[in-house]
Amino acid sequence: MRVDDMVLVPKGSFTPFFLKKVDTNNSSVPATSPATSVDAFWLDATPVTNRKFLAFVNKHPEWHQSNIKKIFTDSHYLEHWKNAQGSADSADLDKPVVNVSWFAAAAYCEAQDKRLPSTDEWEYTLTDNDRDTDNLQKQIMAWYSVPNKALPVVGSKPANGFGILDMAGLIWEWTEDFNSYMAPPDSRNSGDKTLFCGSGSLNASNLGDYAAFMRYSYRESLRGNFTGKNLGFRCAKDTK
Amino acid sequence: MKNHVMKNHLKINLLLSLLFTYTLPAIAENHEHEHHHQNKQDSVIFAPSSDSVFNITDQWVSADGKPFQLGHLSGKPTVVAMIYTSCQYVCPLTVQNIKRIERALPANQVDKVNFAIFSFDSERDTPAKLAEFAKKHSITSPSWVLAQGHASAVRKLAVTLGIKYKKVQSGDYEHDATISILDSHGIIKYQSDAMNKNIDGATGALKTLLH
Repeated sequence: MRVDDMVLVPKGSFTPFFLKKVDTNNSSVPATSPATSVDAFWLDATPVTNRKFLAFVNKHPEWHQSNIKKIFTDSHYLEHWKNAQGSADSADLDKPVVNVSWFAAAAYCEAQDKRLPSTDEWEYTLTDNDRDTDNLQKQIMAWYSVPNKALPVVGSKPANGFGILDMAGLIWEWTEDFNSYMAPPDSRNSGDKTLFCGSGSLNASNLGDYAAFMRYSYRESLRGNFTGKNLGFRCAKDTK
Repeated sequence: MKNHVMKNHLKINLLLSLLFTYTLPAIAENHEHEHHHQNKQDSVIFAPSSDSVFNITDQWVSADGKPFQLGHLSGKPTVVAMIYTSCQYVCPLTVQNIKRIERALPANQVDKVNFAIFSFDSERDTPAKLAEFAKKHSITSPSWVLAQGHASAVRKLAVTLGIKYKKVQSGDYEHDATISILDSHGIIKYQSDAMNKNIDGATGALKTLLH
């Protein structure tokens, strides 16, 4: 179901990569992994574009480059909007907005009566019910190794099984709880830091896990005021 | 709940915030401070400086059931921490350490500092629960405020303070235990691991702000 550029993502479950445990006695056999359930939710079909973000900034001038509070961003906010008017180039209007902090992304979604998706919701949408895993992983890894030189417009590639576009290969995306934990509690409690610190000891045995590790590590490295030239967002909404 | 405090993270953050503080254009700083004074005399609600946490205007509710905003902490330095009341070990210890910081202040300066505790647990920590927690920990001073708010307000404050947390299936929270010290304008001046028994850094930061 699609309404106003949002798609209803049905409830389901997925296994976050860090919950995939390898049996220590037999490292070739993964132990059973608990799945994480996700309730149905609405998600923007594509990342938010410069066009939409510009409309937001015009309506909420406190998020204009010249007005944004220092506590809400680093110095590169909307850096790609550096023309005379301080707005997006017309050729970029349908490209995803980037160089936005978490605070600005969250404010945009709030202004639309939406919110940022949770990390679980985002990852669940990416996994696409394991519909075309091999192809998806190849696409992700190809992008991680050679990021876009210039951003394409949103929606240039086919939608996934949920009807959602651009989950892979376009930009990194903010999540509502990016400042969450990536490591499982038991590895922290025991002081076992092998997941992050031991070279080659990451409990990830395939490309998909490696790609997920990259995403979770990336989020882990962010602060709410950070911006990035490949970091944008899309919004979500509860079904109720 | 066990905590996962990234000490290196804190050091880097502190370093960054120091760099940030000291590289601010002096003119802009002075200009903003001038406005504070002027507006305060007029008892008008003033605009916080651009790097102040008081720019966050989410509504919280304090243990006495009254509406509360970060801006209410304006005018005095504030010791800030985030906890939840059903937390068995880390949170009580955080509160104990903040009380040690309070006790380390000279008697004539104790009422010149705010102590603000915010709950991670939007669902279970009602104002009544917070009041119960305050009673249990013998918190009676009017300098203290315990507050609860909507999940989005909790997330925004945690992001601002650089605190990582996650709600787990049991309803409990995995969280960093961090003590932050704000100056009277709401600018983060100092952060430390709340589990650290050595409170000299925190008291030193407060004493500097009280001068």
